[in-house]
Amino acid sequence: MPSGSASPGPASRRGRGGPRRRENVAGYVFLSPWLLGLLGITAIPMLLSLYLSFTNYDALSDFSSVEWVGLDNYRTMFTADPSYWHAVRVTVTFALVAVPLKLAAALGVALLLNRAFRGVGLFRGLFYLPSLLGGSVALAIVWVNMFNRDGAFNSLLSVFGIEGAPWVNDPRWALETLMALAIWQFGAPMVIFLAGLKQIPVELYEAASVDGANAWRQFRAVTLPMLSPVIFFNLVLETINGFQGFTAAFVLSNGTGGPVDSTLMYTLNLYIKGFTELQMGYASAMAWVFLVAIALITVVLFSTGRFWVHYSDGEDR
Amino acid sequence: MHRAPSPRAVEPTTRHHRTAFSGSGLRRRLLAALVAIPLALTAAACGDDGGEAAADPNKPVELSIFWWGAEGRAKLTEEALALYTKKHPNVTFKKTWQANQGYFDKLATLTAGGDAPDIFQIDDNYLTEYASRNVTLDLMSYKDSGKLDLTKFPESLWNYGVVDGKLAGVAFGENTQGLVFNKTLLDKFKLQAPTTGQSWEDHIAWAANVSKVAKVPGTQDPSADYKAFWVWLRQQGKDLYKDKALGFTEQDVAGWFTLWQGARSAGATPTPDVIHEGNVTDISKQLVVTGKAATSWVWANQMPELKKNTKDEMGVVAYPGDPSAQWARASMYFSVFRGSDKKDIAVDVINFLSNDPEAAAVLGTDRGLPSNLDIRKAVSDSVSDANMKQSIAVQTELGAKFGASPQVPLKGHSKVRSELIKAAEEVQFGRQTPAEAAKAYFAACQAAIGA
Amino acid sequence: MRGRARTVVRLLILVAILAVVLYPLLWMVGTSFKSREEIATNIGLWPEVFTPSNFRAGWQNFDVSFGRFFANSAMVALLTVVGNAISCLLAAYAFARLRFRMRKIWFAIMIGTLLLPGHVLIIPQYVLFKQLGWVGEPWPYLPLLVPQFLATEAFFVFLMVQFMRGIPYELDEAAKIDGASPYTVFAHVIVPLSRPALVTTAIFSFIWTWNDFFRQLVFLSDLQDYTVPVALTLFIDSTSESAVGPMFAMSLLSLVPVFLFFVAFQRLLVEGINTSGLKG
Repeated sequence: MPSGSASPGPASRRGRGGPRRRENVAGYVFLSPWLLGLLGITAIPMLLSLYLSFTNYDALSDFSSVEWVGLDNYRTMFTADPSYWHAVRVTVTFALVAVPLKLAAALGVALLLNRAFRGVGLFRGLFYLPSLLGGSVALAIVWVNMFNRDGAFNSLLSVFGIEGAPWVNDPRWALETLMALAIWQFGAPMVIFLAGLKQIPVELYEAASVDGANAWRQFRAVTLPMLSPVIFFNLVLETINGFQGFTAAFVLSNGTGGPVDSTLMYTLNLYIKGFTELQMGYASAMAWVFLVAIALITVVLFSTGRFWVHYSDGEDR
Repeated sequence: MHRAPSPRAVEPTTRHHRTAFSGSGLRRRLLAALVAIPLALTAAACGDDGGEAAADPNKPVELSIFWWGAEGRAKLTEEALALYTKKHPNVTFKKTWQANQGYFDKLATLTAGGDAPDIFQIDDNYLTEYASRNVTLDLMSYKDSGKLDLTKFPESLWNYGVVDGKLAGVAFGENTQGLVFNKTLLDKFKLQAPTTGQSWEDHIAWAANVSKVAKVPGTQDPSADYKAFWVWLRQQGKDLYKDKALGFTEQDVAGWFTLWQGARSAGATPTPDVIHEGNVTDISKQLVVTGKAATSWVWANQMPELKKNTKDEMGVVAYPGDPSAQWARASMYFSVFRGSDKKDIAVDVINFLSNDPEAAAVLGTDRGLPSNLDIRKAVSDSVSDANMKQSIAVQTELGAKFGASPQVPLKGHSKVRSELIKAAEEVQFGRQTPAEAAKAYFAACQAAIGA
Repeated sequence: MRGRARTVVRLLILVAILAVVLYPLLWMVGTSFKSREEIATNIGLWPEVFTPSNFRAGWQNFDVSFGRFFANSAMVALLTVVGNAISCLLAAYAFARLRFRMRKIWFAIMIGTLLLPGHVLIIPQYVLFKQLGWVGEPWPYLPLLVPQFLATEAFFVFLMVQFMRGIPYELDEAAKIDGASPYTVFAHVIVPLSRPALVTTAIFSFIWTWNDFFRQLVFLSDLQDYTVPVALTLFIDSTSESAVGPMFAMSLLSLVPVFLFFVAFQRLLVEGINTSGLKG
């Protein structure tokens, strides 16, 4: 468990026999497809990439011809590669701004769309539309045309007498354009919020209503706590997504991270190193450092979760 | 269907334990074992693969071939390959094509899996990377024996496929740098068209005048464009690479950046954000097409394609300066996978596509001017598209003046290219002086080529 | 009356946000009707000359009709939905409801598999699948589909775990007191109450598979087998020709199935789960 909470270990349950044992077996029965997938499909490539991170692997040769370079890749990353730290800064900035705003947009729209009214399904679909585009080629062209010097956004600004920048082509603003794109595609967390809202038993609102709670109090006392596992899920996943943030950066900058590295996200940098410059060993090292860093962030999120996430099973994860 | 693994893959794994992992600790040995599992499987699965499949010339063979391009190229290539099958009914093709986005990612992945196609298209960006890792078959012996006939190729063109004395790829099409200008726009304002042989200073002065008169920036600032930088270097008696090192100095870079800084302050170029747009865009959105500049720096053979995206008339000339600094560049190559078990047939297919008049007529100028000069002449005569005619005329005219080809770019070339964009943009956006950017660029290039 | 006014206000807010959100898509629609020259030069919303031929050109641009790519994508996406829904639900039930040895360690590993950037896994995965004999033959989609039936998408496992933990635990307890086994609890309590999670999983599985480019590009090598995202990139070769108009037209068309899939499935979200009689 990432939180490292001192819950009773499995050992303490051992030998209680009967139902415990049955549950233990059942646990592994239900887990077996996943375990098979983990051991057969997920784990081997992951461990290989861990191994390659200690080598000079070049993405062309087969694995047997690689040379072991020890910690060289890690050393280079931390001490001799300025683009590495630059990409870290870009990524952290991006995640700190884009993740909260995206979640806020998703929750806000989900709350507005939670009530049943005529055409609500269509509305949901329309709000989801931008996310359907994923990271397609078309999207890149659209976004560049919204946010270049004579794009639609500047036309909008000029209505208010503001002269805009060439956003997407300006190193000072390109990252903000990327954030706007990420926030625009808020469909996934929105749907998860909607599903979570639907799961809240109506009786709770009825009870609160009988107690004379107004809309805001109902939101605070019923919606937020009942939704907290889902909020937590979205927070964790969007944080991970935000830090990974590859597609938008790749698509918008034509895979370069430009202008002048202003949108060089961590994973984009990793991709360029691995595939374009054929230093897959180095890229693998970058990936594992990323994993450790995000794992730490996730652990922190999980440990704060104890204070605000409410589970009906009473266990805190 | 299994293909012979690369020669490396069939080597017994025990050897690797001695070389790659010698003196390892327990953990390393465990990891080595992890690597060995798939390898052992490969060896087992492919144990029956012998040498050439050509023992029986009529035995059915399927060759895999992989290229990047658009639908038009796919149709032509498939048609030309069908001609080969018609002549050799036992040979069929497993054809894979895609656009260039992701092409080299996939090629690298297939290669790493010992699964590279028998024949694949490659460019000078990656030729050395693949050749130096022994992915490509050395075709020199085939050339010498005449099985691969390059006698009708310009010497400098096929030589542009030689890496470390090995013929790593067959130049499949020739192109050269071309400055494309908007003829309609210039005519409208009664401005002169740029000319081949114009000096860089004259070109910039001309462009500044265009900006003033036509209110369209005269020239896309090419300071981020490696091929313009390269031509300019060669005119200074330098080169991009020399043997295993860089062929230029930090001062050269600073001089190049300063030249264009001057052009920008003279108003000859668009604003930095528009220049950036041109730096990263695909050819359908080049500034000369979108009307954001009067000229764009491209390859001469791209002109007809540019034209399709605009109603305006286009023209093409050489880059400024002495045109003899330009060279017959292989627009792309076909290479044979060294681990292929059908090498001889693969070479024969490339030979056919390069030299067979019928096949070449089908392929036309899609990949650049045909490498075989006889065929080039025949194809050029039959071209009907006016823009392609003009493009060919310019390339032919320049061809007479070409100097020797430079060497094929070194490993790390793609980094050398992308770092130039970064450094040039640092200057364009006014974040660094030419000297600062040149210093950073030079250091980055040194690191990239491992000097 | 007050309720009515609020509905109107809510609607107005929604429409306002929607206008901003949809503008770029409208622009896309406009562009898909522009001629080739106009795409390069006219960046406005609507075409000066209406060119519907992009749709026909795009549909027939390749040797294989674009419909084939739709069919391939639909097949891959639907099978992925089935695979993810079944396998992830099983795993999630174990994690969320059952107490078994090493549960927390497995859970941490599961979260861990979410964290590694995928690009460094492509080559090892390719090598692995090739050793397993799954690449190209016998069926090109094996490397794309088998993992989906083995719950390798940790995202969905985690999603379902979080949803399941919102289902009142008293239900399990009550069933267990009645002598129900974990399997009975799963079938009679958890599965019926997991509909929001299942629907969400179905929607995302479908959409993400529909949009996934890189893995499909690497594992599919025959034009006949290509899926929509791979086919869409074929329109633009940045070094030679590009057919931007047809690409926009096909991109728009490719939104239709996912949009319909979404609208159809979100109904199941709307209805919610019938929790009457349960005490939360």
